[in-house]
Amino acid sequence: MHEVLGRSAFVSLTATAIALALGVPAGTWLALARRRGRRVLATAVNTGMAVPTVVVGLVVALLLWRSGPLGELELIYTLRGMIIAQVLIAAPLIAGITMAGLQALPADLPDQLRALGANTPQLVWRLWIEARVPLLAAAMAGFGHAISEVGSATIVGGNIHGQTQVMTTSIVENVGKGDFDEALVYAAVLLGLAVTINALLTSVQQRAAAWAQS
Amino acid sequence: MGSVLRLSGVRHSRGGIEVLAIDALELEAGERLAVLGPNGAGKTTLLRLLAGLEAPTAGGVELDGVRVAGANLDVRRRIGYATQRPGLLSTTVIRNVELPLRWRRLAAGARRQAALAALERLNVAHLAERKALSLSGGEAQRVSLARALAVEPEVLLLDEPASGLDAEAHRAFFDDLESVLADRATTLVQVTHRADEALRLADRIAVLTHGAIRQLGEPTLVLRQPADAIAARLLGYDNVLAVDVDQERQVLVGGVRCGITTTLDPGPAALAAWAAALRITTPGDGALHAKVERVAQGPGRWQLTLTAPQTLHSHLPLDQTPPRVGESVGVDIDPAHATVIAAIPDNPFG
Repeated sequence: MHEVLGRSAFVSLTATAIALALGVPAGTWLALARRRGRRVLATAVNTGMAVPTVVVGLVVALLLWRSGPLGELELIYTLRGMIIAQVLIAAPLIAGITMAGLQALPADLPDQLRALGANTPQLVWRLWIEARVPLLAAAMAGFGHAISEVGSATIVGGNIHGQTQVMTTSIVENVGKGDFDEALVYAAVLLGLAVTINALLTSVQQRAAAWAQS
Repeated sequence: MGSVLRLSGVRHSRGGIEVLAIDALELEAGERLAVLGPNGAGKTTLLRLLAGLEAPTAGGVELDGVRVAGANLDVRRRIGYATQRPGLLSTTVIRNVELPLRWRRLAAGARRQAALAALERLNVAHLAERKALSLSGGEAQRVSLARALAVEPEVLLLDEPASGLDAEAHRAFFDDLESVLADRATTLVQVTHRADEALRLADRIAVLTHGAIRQLGEPTLVLRQPADAIAARLLGYDNVLAVDVDQERQVLVGGVRCGITTTLDPGPAALAAWAAALRITTPGDGALHAKVERVAQGPGRWQLTLTAPQTLHSHLPLDQTPPRVGESVGVDIDPAHATVIAAIPDNPFG
């Protein structure tokens, strides 16, 4: 159980961290850029937020399959393969919420910051600070999606005992065997993990929100 | 002193529509220019070009011979810009003011000192540790101005910074602004739609309408002789009337001579007159015959609206008994408080 829990936490937290590193800059670009094609990409990101995880898992599995285009990387049925799938699931969500959060700031704020002498990194950093509440919501949503996801974890990870089995695939397996007691224990522990991490992020988020509003 | 800020051949378009066209405009170091124009005249666009936030479609904006627009951050950082909305950030007041200094890599101690000094100059140092988003409108405007001034800009751009303030806060804001700028170390470009704000600080006034400067000159000259009816309205003239000039250069209001002569050629013209220029007389006595449409009590005076048949605005002291609504009166126009100018276009504010 401990091993499976640790693996779940590792895969989901790693995937969330990578998805944040990709999704936040992408969402920022989508919120601020004035270039042609921005709207098409924004639509793609918003669509990506609604793609079923099992479909993402299927596509990733086809790509990573030994005879697939990325088969040489030997990532199918590995934790790294599962992380890739979860990044693809969480990143659009994080990008979409980041974009919406930045667009909710006053429209003239970027120009005001430029007028105060900000260069581009200073400008973007300050905008992230101003949008810290939705950005934390993006992190929570990304993590929530990753930790609760079962479709791609099963397809890409294969639920191999001692290697790629995570909490969600364990629950599915136990239910399949009719061992509901074991499944409920796993579910309770998984819920506990999700609640703990989200409680931490929520506390930070609400403190940030209260600070800005008081 | 050499020219510090120069616009030459500036044309700026948005969505294919030209919104600003200024052939030439130069500001000397330490000069104060007020740009007076109605909403949509291109005032904020002008400031954005001066601040380097946008590059003009054609022509150039230069600070000491260097183009402002583009990636030249060092040049842009010599310009301070206080926007119409204070745009304070969700942190303390002092951190808001320190931020542009931090971006300029000033050491923490010097940064705090400079920020506090700027807040003190605007009389808001006591707010330093307050959260910026909890400030009142007047306080926020002062902090925004302190933030723009903290970097000691060579050029300060002000976009109607006192809009939304009540009369007392507005007066106090401009009192402090005048005091802060008294050393003439900063070149000022201030845009406004209010004549009183423009007249308060400016060495020169530019009247901007439809993206073009219609008149540029010293405030007293511009005020005394507006270029046309649009400028007269912006400068706050209470009465801007369509008139005719006859062969003897006499001004006719509604076909009736009003006792004012002009050097303008015969034909259509406009008469700009302050409310104080209109003297109410008994019917038959004045040059014009008018009917009282409205009588309202204003600050320290009666405000009269008359038709003759054009609408006229006049004042009476509160200790005088005003005429009644519907009553006929005579009106004389004092030439000392009126000026004859170019004719009113069909749609002056179209």
